Amino acid sequence: MMTLADLAYRLNDHESDDGTTFDAMVMEDGVLEVTCTGFEEFPMHLTKTETQLISVTPLFSKDEVKADSLGELHESFLRLSPALPLSSVGLQGNTFILFGAMALSTRFEVVAHELEIQAENTIDVLESVEHLLN
Amino acid sequence: MGVLRDMMTALRGGASEVGESIVDANAIRILEQEIRDAETAIAGARQSLTRMKSAEIKLRREVATLSDDAADYERKALAALNAGEEALATEVAERIAEIEDERNDKAREQASLNDEVDKIHKMIKARERTIQKNKRELEKVRTMEELQRATSSVSKNFAATGSSSHRVSKALERVKNKQQNWQDRMQAGDWLEEQESTDDIDARLRAKGIEGAARPGATDVLARLKAKQAS
Repeated sequence: MMTLADLAYRLNDHESDDGTTFDAMVMEDGVLEVTCTGFEEFPMHLTKTETQLISVTPLFSKDEVKADSLGELHESFLRLSPALPLSSVGLQGNTFILFGAMALSTRFEVVAHELEIQAENTIDVLESVEHLLN
Repeated sequence: MGVLRDMMTALRGGASEVGESIVDANAIRILEQEIRDAETAIAGARQSLTRMKSAEIKLRREVATLSDDAADYERKALAALNAGEEALATEVAERIAEIEDERNDKAREQASLNDEVDKIHKMIKARERTIQKNKRELEKVRTMEELQRATSSVSKNFAATGSSSHRVSKALERVKNKQQNWQDRMQAGDWLEEQESTDDIDARLRAKGIEGAARPGATDVLARLKAKQAS
């Protein structure tokens, strides 16, 4: 079973077919922070349970949503969700997040590919709701 | 027991920070205890199941041997009858009856043991289902806890920078600029490659003495000037 430190080591050494590279670092609280080239503004945070690898990209806080736009934002997220088969949108405390989960047995190349997709999805999602944010 | 409803209640109540319980701690302990109890019960049941199954197999083999013995004695009794040995045949018949008695006893014992084995087997399966179900419930809680952990470290950064307006727009702008720069660099690379290959063709043509239109020389210029003068 791959540890987060192993994953960081392999990600730092990896380049995808279309030239994407990763910057991965295990932080003090044990969470693995990963960024893809070009998407450094929105780091992904990886952690794991006994069975899953979870990757979370915090998007924005509730406070950043325009007054009276929360309802529209929620509906937009519900409508967007089916279009994002590998990522889901959620709310953690006060923070909206994009997250994905993979089995711990997932092959490294697949994990790297999913992370790339999540970075792209982050931009797509934010662009679609940007007008609802302060 | 479903933990999702409990989690929803705790989260609505504002439990969102790492370390805050999103499910009643007792509920988690009960789930974990149930998993441990079920695993202990299964370990015990598996041991007795092995013992009972081997006893059952032994009985089945004995029943088969006794049946063979009875069949063998039947053949012998018939042979005695055919030989007119009535008394001997009667003795053999008594022996057959004893063997059949013993065989029927063992067959009953084997059947009831077989039922027991089935029951224990079903019990183990049921316990395993309980374990799997409880583990799935625990996994939901763990997932939620890990999500909290992964989100909290970045959310703290939001708190520091989140107050600035258009944070997301500005960040998106920076990402798009980076993407655009990257694409520009790619295009520049393509352009350079194309230029180099064109230069290469010209150089090769020159080397072979094949050149495009020759540059006008001084003779041509003088001829043009003279023509102008004459007109």
